[in-house]
Amino acid sequence: MLTRPFRYERAAHYADACDLLREHGDDAKVLAGGQSLLPLINIGLAQPGVVVDISRLAEGRDITVGADGYLTLGALVTHARLAADARARSAQPLLPEAAAHIGNNRVRNRGTLGGSLAHADPAAELPLVMVALGAAYEVTSGHASRSVRAEDFHLGFFTTALAADELIVSVSAPVLGPGWGWSFQEVSRRDGDFAMAAVAALVRIADGLVVEARVAAAAVSDRPVRLADVETALTGCPPGGVADRVGPLQGISPAGDAGASAQYKRRLARVLVIRALQEAAGRAGEAA
Amino acid sequence: MSEIVTITLTINGRRITRAAGAHLTLLRWVRDEAGVTDPKYGCGEGICGACTVLMDGEPVSSCIVLAAQADGAEITTAAGLLERDGSLGPLQRAFHACHAAQCGFCTPGMLMSAAALLADGRTWSPAEIRAGLHGNLCRCTGYGPIVDAVEAAQRERAQ
Repeated sequence: MLTRPFRYERAAHYADACDLLREHGDDAKVLAGGQSLLPLINIGLAQPGVVVDISRLAEGRDITVGADGYLTLGALVTHARLAADARARSAQPLLPEAAAHIGNNRVRNRGTLGGSLAHADPAAELPLVMVALGAAYEVTSGHASRSVRAEDFHLGFFTTALAADELIVSVSAPVLGPGWGWSFQEVSRRDGDFAMAAVAALVRIADGLVVEARVAAAAVSDRPVRLADVETALTGCPPGGVADRVGPLQGISPAGDAGASAQYKRRLARVLVIRALQEAAGRAGEAA
Repeated sequence: MSEIVTITLTINGRRITRAAGAHLTLLRWVRDEAGVTDPKYGCGEGICGACTVLMDGEPVSSCIVLAAQADGAEITTAAGLLERDGSLGPLQRAFHACHAAQCGFCTPGMLMSAAALLADGRTWSPAEIRAGLHGNLCRCTGYGPIVDAVEAAQRERAQ
């Protein structure tokens, strides 16, 4: 379909972009990689009067591993770059693995980390791993910055804790510590489609037993959800026995769609949780 | 800036500057402003791959990139794969030889995703070629010959 004309503003800095967002309010949309916004504009679901392009900012592209034990990623890092980055892979392999599952290679070449997090699709890979990792997002209004935990940021369907004039600048996620293993599991109808269910898991093994676990699931609720019951149930479990500790999943509420019924997704999510825990436990064992 | 933006693109080696609607996608700009019509409009959502072009060497869905975002970039379309004398390039010859086009609508996009694979310089297995093309849909179900063509072009390059 033919797009309604809009004003185009190319921001030079985050602060400019925030000023433009304050000036234009609801009529403005932020454009980063555009891999969600432009399809929405093309099909007429979004009709912004002003598009604020942050895709050409000089800022926001760094990938750094700090002495503080955190991997920090600029919001404009593309999925393709994250998937291929050797430092990110060795610091926190869950992140590049999740990025490699996003869309097709064209989407990964343009799509950005901050864009995916701010868009907050409940089936998206990156919000899921951020919740599983306990990552924090640095957001700015141009005047002030604040840090928001991933779990507090993702509030519901395409809904986040960002104020109308705020942008994500960077993300900090803990690096994979000693004794930890990880896994990312996703099922979709075809490679690159939205997930029917996806699970990210981290397991720490000490003296041959699971001592800590972090598990989250996507596409089975209106936001990525931590599975606290599963995490608690794993404590003290031998790595070979994790499957027996996973009961029916609590805290998820999948919606049926053309691809799968709610019941199917519920069962699929449990299967993926078990696979993820087994793989993560295996990797933790190898690392120990 | 406003509803009209002046941008410059180098399309298949030809540098073009135009003032046009800021809302134009790279695909519409390349087709309507520059008159280069080999990339096709398929889904408008970045799923089908018919609009695939190389932007500074990387495949992108030109229907979901604003032309203004590509300002200054080098764009390569299927026509950019031709030899200097206008004859078919190696990848195009391989598509021809392997009957890798039926209706032809997906072909310009297939060629660009394949060109990006080959530009990498590695030798790809058939499975990796399939993975590399998985975002390009062919409704004539001609995937077999397309993968054959990319393999053939890869063999020719190695010789």
